[in-house]
Amino acid sequence: MARAGTTRNPLVIAATALAVVAAAAAGWGGWDRYDASHDDAASYAQARDDALAAGEQAVQNMNTLDHRTLEKGLDSWEESTTGDLHRQLVEGRDAFAEQIVAAKTVSTAKVLSGAVTELDERAGRAGVMVALRVTVAAPKGEPAVKESRMLGTLTRTAEGWKLSALGQAPVGSTAG
Amino acid sequence: MNERTALESKPVEDEDRADDAEPDSQESPEGPEGTDGTDEHGRRPRWPRILGALLTVALLATGGALFAEGQQLRDTPATANLALTDAEATTRVTGDVSNALGRIFSYGPDATALTKDAARQVLAGKALQQYAALFGQVEKQAADQKLTLTTHVVRAGVTRLTGSSAHLLVFLDQVYERRGRPATTASAQLSVTAELRDGQWRIVEIGSI
Repeated sequence: MARAGTTRNPLVIAATALAVVAAAAAGWGGWDRYDASHDDAASYAQARDDALAAGEQAVQNMNTLDHRTLEKGLDSWEESTTGDLHRQLVEGRDAFAEQIVAAKTVSTAKVLSGAVTELDERAGRAGVMVALRVTVAAPKGEPAVKESRMLGTLTRTAEGWKLSALGQAPVGSTAG
Repeated sequence: MNERTALESKPVEDEDRADDAEPDSQESPEGPEGTDGTDEHGRRPRWPRILGALLTVALLATGGALFAEGQQLRDTPATANLALTDAEATTRVTGDVSNALGRIFSYGPDATALTKDAARQVLAGKALQQYAALFGQVEKQAADQKLTLTTHVVRAGVTRLTGSSAHLLVFLDQVYERRGRPATTASAQLSVTAELRDGQWRIVEIGSI
């Protein structure tokens, strides 16, 4: 009797319904949260932005070198790269260092704009294009300022995106 | 409850404690209280009710918080930018803008009218005004100097893309040919803003970088 009375109590019914709704809300929220953290589009967008940031920084590093802090500069070159490009830099480091010491140049670079042109998140590869202004100051004469446009390939490593290839965008090669 | 069943099932003990009539009488008032007790049985789970209510609130709050967190994860500045995440739109805008730049920055001494027409089709807003101002000179130059300009897009990348607007970085080569002279190539880096109008991406602003 008492129990029957309890179940019929509209307040209890409402409370029970509310509890069910609350449980459903928690479940839905949890599912949504899980789904969001496994959202491919969001992770892809994040990878794109990470690759661009790393790419721009790496390209800037690769165009920055001060003969007075040569070792530090060349270390940063090596830290910005991986794969073949990294190997080339390591192999050619001593010869290149000699050149820079002899020339006493100071190169600084400013990234003007950059974009990711392709991104394969699974393979961990990205292509970037970066427009930058490079200033090279030699002991004699005015500093030379030139606009440079570079194409780079990034490879994802345990320490983030790093340049595995870098070159000037070809000029005139596509001209008929 | 155990006490009561114990008392009921062992009346002998009660009889044994005949002197303890008062406890009995105490118990008889407890009888009605017992019936009240059934009411109290309904009311007795007051703490479960409170607990239930608290749990309900906690569940609702948790659900809400998780949902909000999920939305936050989805709606980041990164996801608001559709560049590359919407592969089709990215390819489309890159193609449209590359084509447009190739057309409006290519002309021959006898074909400036074509270029002008192209500009009207692919440019809009500020870019169209800028271009119109510039093209007067270009037209004259092309005719006078027998100048041919051919523009190729070397690489174009989308820096920012939404449903109806896009920003691109474009590397292009421009080949100038004057009759009887070797061609010269110049490279340019442009920042381009495009808008989707009537199903076609139109360039609304061109800036050199």
